[in-house]
Amino acid sequence: MKEVCSSNTFIEVNNVTFSYKKSEIILKNITTSFDKGEFAALIGPNGSGKTTFGKLMTGILSANEGSVFVEGKNIEEISLGNIGKKIGYLFQQPARQLFNPTVKEEIGFAHSFMGKSKEIVEQKVNKIIEEFSLQGLEDASPYRISRGERQRVALASIFINEPSFLILDEPTTGLDIVRKEQLSQLLKSLQPQGIGIIVISHDKDFINKNADRVIELYGGEQHEA
Amino acid sequence: MKLDPRTKLVMVFSLSTLAVFVVDTLLLSIVLIISIIVSNFFKEDWGFLNRARKFILLLVGIAFLQSIFSPSGEILFGIKDFTLLTTGGLAKGIRVILRMLVIIISATIMKGSSPREIIQGLIQWKVPYEIAFMVSLAIRFIPILGQEAKDAFTAIQLRGIEIDKLSLTKRFKVYSYMFMPVLSGVIHRAKELSTSLEARAFRAYPERTSYIKLELSKNDLLIMSASIVFTITMLVIYILLR
Repeated sequence: MKEVCSSNTFIEVNNVTFSYKKSEIILKNITTSFDKGEFAALIGPNGSGKTTFGKLMTGILSANEGSVFVEGKNIEEISLGNIGKKIGYLFQQPARQLFNPTVKEEIGFAHSFMGKSKEIVEQKVNKIIEEFSLQGLEDASPYRISRGERQRVALASIFINEPSFLILDEPTTGLDIVRKEQLSQLLKSLQPQGIGIIVISHDKDFINKNADRVIELYGGEQHEA
Repeated sequence: MKLDPRTKLVMVFSLSTLAVFVVDTLLLSIVLIISIIVSNFFKEDWGFLNRARKFILLLVGIAFLQSIFSPSGEILFGIKDFTLLTTGGLAKGIRVILRMLVIIISATIMKGSSPREIIQGLIQWKVPYEIAFMVSLAIRFIPILGQEAKDAFTAIQLRGIEIDKLSLTKRFKVYSYMFMPVLSGVIHRAKELSTSLEARAFRAYPERTSYIKLELSKNDLLIMSASIVFTITMLVIYILLR
């Protein structure tokens, strides 16, 4: 099995086929790779397998055939916890990835849970809160804020881990024009640091403005646009 | 053979009743074999058993606890003065497993019927529509709740938390975090659903009409009667044997 990839490649997908039911193949023989610092977009109609593809690259789902490699290591051999330290994944429904009583605790969750000092957590959380314009919502429940705000909280709680790669499923849903622009600038600022980004989206304007590369999924197959 | 959902409900009820009342390993095994045969007759998808294999440990754990806390008969295994396994306890544990398997396998008989058919069956049994509707909602939402709990667990791990490396206390703490998104989802969905029901004039009129009308065939009546007679016979045999 191939375990080596070019030094700049972060995720490598080799002949991946996936189906939820035997009769319905969602993805057929997908082979591609994503580099560090690259901004790629995954597009395609509803049900074309975009979210499934994202979940395969995060190890949430396992391929029926083929393999996914993260930094040259087969994803099947890496625990979800370890993948989480490298890849930040934004769910399509952000409410499913929020589980703390307040926004502040939500953002600082990973650090507090791993036993980092209160001061460091506080410092990092405050910085992130400012970056994501979440001031004033620190003590609010993540379930009692607007959808757009929830989306930003979910993004902020991913960013605090300083991942090397981001897979964002519909990140612009619920964001207004100003917040979309802020997100765009934030993502662009990550690229020079070598952080790769895959955005799964229907938002053509956002993709045209930001993506270096667009992959279209259609009928289970990939088409480089 | 296409059966009325009410016939299937009677079959499930009969088998579950036997599983609850019978406390004899041999009779419980017979009930389990019958449940498997009946479920197989409806060509149910057994794939769920593969998915449920994670619960086997839980099942065995419950059986083991049962055997520890209700010891009787000869001691099979113990540490110093503390008895861990006895013949009577082991038999009770096996019966717990058999009982649970009968309930799970007999419930699969219903899998072939759509929730809409089940509601209609209940309504024609004079169950109030609201109750029947609630039953169908519960059936529909169980897999969604399961998926949400799974997503929450995945999300927690993707924050960089390595579950395998955590102490037992911390691991329990992680599991406790799963309740928040699931509970919030349930409340949110219930609120949206109630608004949607009001908006679509649910209970606007005292009488509801339905375009579906279920009719019991000869086969239905025959199977229903056979199920009831079989259940009563088994219970009588069991009582006489005691």
